[in-house]
Amino acid sequence: MREVKEIEIKSRADTLKMRPWPVTPPPSREEVTAKVYARRKAEEFCKFIEDIVGFEHVHGKPEALQGIKVLDASIWRLGGAFCSSLLAELGAEVVKVEPPGGDPLRKLTPFGREEYMLKDADTGEPCGLDFISEMRNKYSITLNLETPEGREIFKRLATQVDVVIENYPPGQFDEWGIGYRQLSKINPRLVYCWIGVLGQWGPMKDRVSKFGQWMLDPFSQAACSYIHNTGYPQDFLPRGSGGDPTRNGVWLADYVAGEQGAVDILAALYYRDEVSGRGQFIEVTGAEALMDILDFDITWYAFNKSIKARTGGWDPNLNQYEWNPCKDGYMMIGGQTDRLWYRIGMCIERDFPQFGRLIHEDPFLKEMAARNALHALIKTYTLTTRWLREITRYEAEQKLLEYDVAAGPVMYMDEVAEFPHFKYRPWVHLVEDEHYGTLMYAVPPDAYQHRTPARVKWLGRPLGHDNSEIYMRYLGMGNEQLRELKEKGVI
Amino acid sequence: MAEVKREAYFEELPGPRSQEELEEMKMPYEEYCRKIFDPKSTFLKPEALKGIRWLSCTMYIFTPHSVANLAELGAECIKFEMPRMGDPMRHTSPFNEAYLYPLHDSRPRTGTGLGFTNANTNEYFVTLDYHRPEAQEILYKLVKMSDGLTECYRPGTFDRWKQSYRYLMEINPRFIYVWGGGFGYGPKTFGGSYDILGQAHAGMSSITGFHEDFGGHPTKSTNWVIDWYSGTHITVAILAALYWRRKTGLGTMIEFSQVQACTRILGYTVPLYHRFGIVRQRWGNWDTQLCVHGIILCGKSDYPDAPNPQLKYDARYVMVSAFNDADFKELCNIIKRPDLFEKYKTHKDRVHEQAQIEIYRTLEQWAADKSRSEVVRILTEAGLLAMPVMNDKEVYECEHYRQRGTIRWLDDPIFGDVLVQSGYSTGLMSETPRRVRWIWRPVGADNVKIYHELLGYPMSQLQKWYEQGLI
Repeated sequence: MREVKEIEIKSRADTLKMRPWPVTPPPSREEVTAKVYARRKAEEFCKFIEDIVGFEHVHGKPEALQGIKVLDASIWRLGGAFCSSLLAELGAEVVKVEPPGGDPLRKLTPFGREEYMLKDADTGEPCGLDFISEMRNKYSITLNLETPEGREIFKRLATQVDVVIENYPPGQFDEWGIGYRQLSKINPRLVYCWIGVLGQWGPMKDRVSKFGQWMLDPFSQAACSYIHNTGYPQDFLPRGSGGDPTRNGVWLADYVAGEQGAVDILAALYYRDEVSGRGQFIEVTGAEALMDILDFDITWYAFNKSIKARTGGWDPNLNQYEWNPCKDGYMMIGGQTDRLWYRIGMCIERDFPQFGRLIHEDPFLKEMAARNALHALIKTYTLTTRWLREITRYEAEQKLLEYDVAAGPVMYMDEVAEFPHFKYRPWVHLVEDEHYGTLMYAVPPDAYQHRTPARVKWLGRPLGHDNSEIYMRYLGMGNEQLRELKEKGVI
Repeated sequence: MAEVKREAYFEELPGPRSQEELEEMKMPYEEYCRKIFDPKSTFLKPEALKGIRWLSCTMYIFTPHSVANLAELGAECIKFEMPRMGDPMRHTSPFNEAYLYPLHDSRPRTGTGLGFTNANTNEYFVTLDYHRPEAQEILYKLVKMSDGLTECYRPGTFDRWKQSYRYLMEINPRFIYVWGGGFGYGPKTFGGSYDILGQAHAGMSSITGFHEDFGGHPTKSTNWVIDWYSGTHITVAILAALYWRRKTGLGTMIEFSQVQACTRILGYTVPLYHRFGIVRQRWGNWDTQLCVHGIILCGKSDYPDAPNPQLKYDARYVMVSAFNDADFKELCNIIKRPDLFEKYKTHKDRVHEQAQIEIYRTLEQWAADKSRSEVVRILTEAGLLAMPVMNDKEVYECEHYRQRGTIRWLDDPIFGDVLVQSGYSTGLMSETPRRVRWIWRPVGADNVKIYHELLGYPMSQLQKWYEQGLI
């Protein structure tokens, strides 16, 4: 049997300890082959797949973007950080340029709790976890762009790189003489990407408060109707208790914008190297990148003036496609095509025979598209929840998986980390970092590739840790010169 | 022969080289941006991925979106669907009310639902029933002349049909093969997946919505956010693989789990759990790391007489941000509660959970007799950051997006006027902007173009296949 490690929590101090992971080991490869792959007679194919894309081989393979150099001057928002993370995971050399005081994101921690920050081995400076987990494979240098000398150095750095990413308020870099207009003159091959909230031009462009505070996500979520359309309707929950338009728990628009930024940057690099030999200017905004993936919502308004309303855990476009409460949490069930729709029904019918009579025999519900009508959703989900309330998430998942239905529980982070499939693959993994000790990170989902998988080499970096290496390698500046610049407050 | 001894050529010196360039350097920044990102010049510029051909054996949103990104960037993409039936997403429409006709030439009275929008932009639509052995030759021919393929069938299915990476890498070693699905290899490899499974399973919904103590539930994003987001993540991987292939000439296989991609964007949730055993919970419309940085409810509606309840009751939310000391002090002065600033002078005090509850409650009390636009006006005039939580109507009417060309009308070749909210909005590119040519085409609309014109099968053969239900 597997060894189970007990965790005892007697006081608050016990809760602030490193979690053992995994608490129970994942199933072995033989077990999975015999119990899972064999069921569909796919042992041979699955062995082939595990052999060529398996996670354990990641570090022995080449990196796709080897040789690409990126200067990431973005601070505060995660858009630029996520964008450069994606490039760094794929092998680009990313240098994060921070002001001498550091990216303000370093100081953020949930509810201001310093006990959740990590001190690095060099300086002992506490650093927030959002910053650390997005500081993947990146170097950290300091440079004060508010000084003319700092800008001069930035210009020289920009001649050495392929990509510059920044997210300062509209026109700030241009005013400083280090915007695309100026840098493209000294490095025509440069791909320059600005990642913002609303835009650097246009009637509703990014603003800064009169005291200099920046706009951060969820402004972008609010500006594209994502928030208005997300959440439970007032008929389900009272206002103030969830019956409101709801923002995503994370800075979602930042991530979406960062990712589209990476797509645009890679396309621009491809075009530069394949065709033109010249770089270009890219502008990505959180509001627009999130609007790009907001299904059809704006198109629908233009079609028949429908303003999408909130529908909580239900989806107004598919049936079944929702999560509903069950005995110990919430259970997600999905299956729209007839094949899956009837399988879900057959599964529920076993415990709850009326379901078949009320749902399968309803002539209105026989047509796939008709099932999306509101009253059809209410009827289906009411009866499904009637079944779910008697059983736990695990039981529901097992029952539905027997019928090959896509189903899964709503899981919290501890459950995510311990879910057998996620441990096997693995989904989250540990890295023993030089500066911050053992850290858990979410594995890049593009790490499962035959030739050039993405990977995490390190997480987090003390502020300015790489000053002497990067300034020497890029600009030939020695320690003496750096010391002078440091005294002048330039780096 | 006399050597040219000049050390620098005039053309090589930095600085403007023509009158036009000089003016460009001198114009105000905003004007400059308008000029180089001008939405009217989209079709005057080249496409980044011109010449790439990609096959899309995909369904729903997730994997199709990975190809749509390529198609917007100029790749030629061919989407395969089951004959007559098409992608199941075509039968998806909000409350069954919005369709564009026809679905297929044999089904004029069935339409494609708006759920299909934006996931397959600019592609060519062919039909092929690859369950049948006759289909193999057709697919193999296309594989030989394409750069890659994205598929989403359960693991082993394409292998059974002899069209998995094992077989295709032999036919075309430059081929980039993408499998996108819910889980990837491992114990749940055959588990099906959808977007909300990702949101639920990977932990995102557990931190979205209002806390249990406030009476809230885990909340689903309004859109199929993980489908779209992971689709784009695949595009990142594809473009990196293409970049690598330029050097080595070798294709690859990318195995991509959508549910895993969702865990990737949980930020501090992951290390916080491991280092300190803290399981992150929901925190509603406020921010766990910044205060004031949240959404408040105002008492009055901006549209008190509108018949649509979305306007009448829900146009009442404002996003307010004043987390820096000076901003927060100003905010407290505006709401006439300077004592609140005295009480919570530092950001560390303000961001504490009890402080947040008190601060946002006080803000909502202040806004109780005001409308959303009043609150935004008062705060904006005071130089603070505030913005209404916009709905679809307001986004549609917003001048900002129209000027930037990120929302625009398209005269679709088949369906006529369609409003496009995507493609252009993924990022403005000065040299190779993305574009949208058509939103989609009926099932099998390009069979002749691909099978007859590209692969050279005679029309009588196509007719025979059509009658047999192969295409």
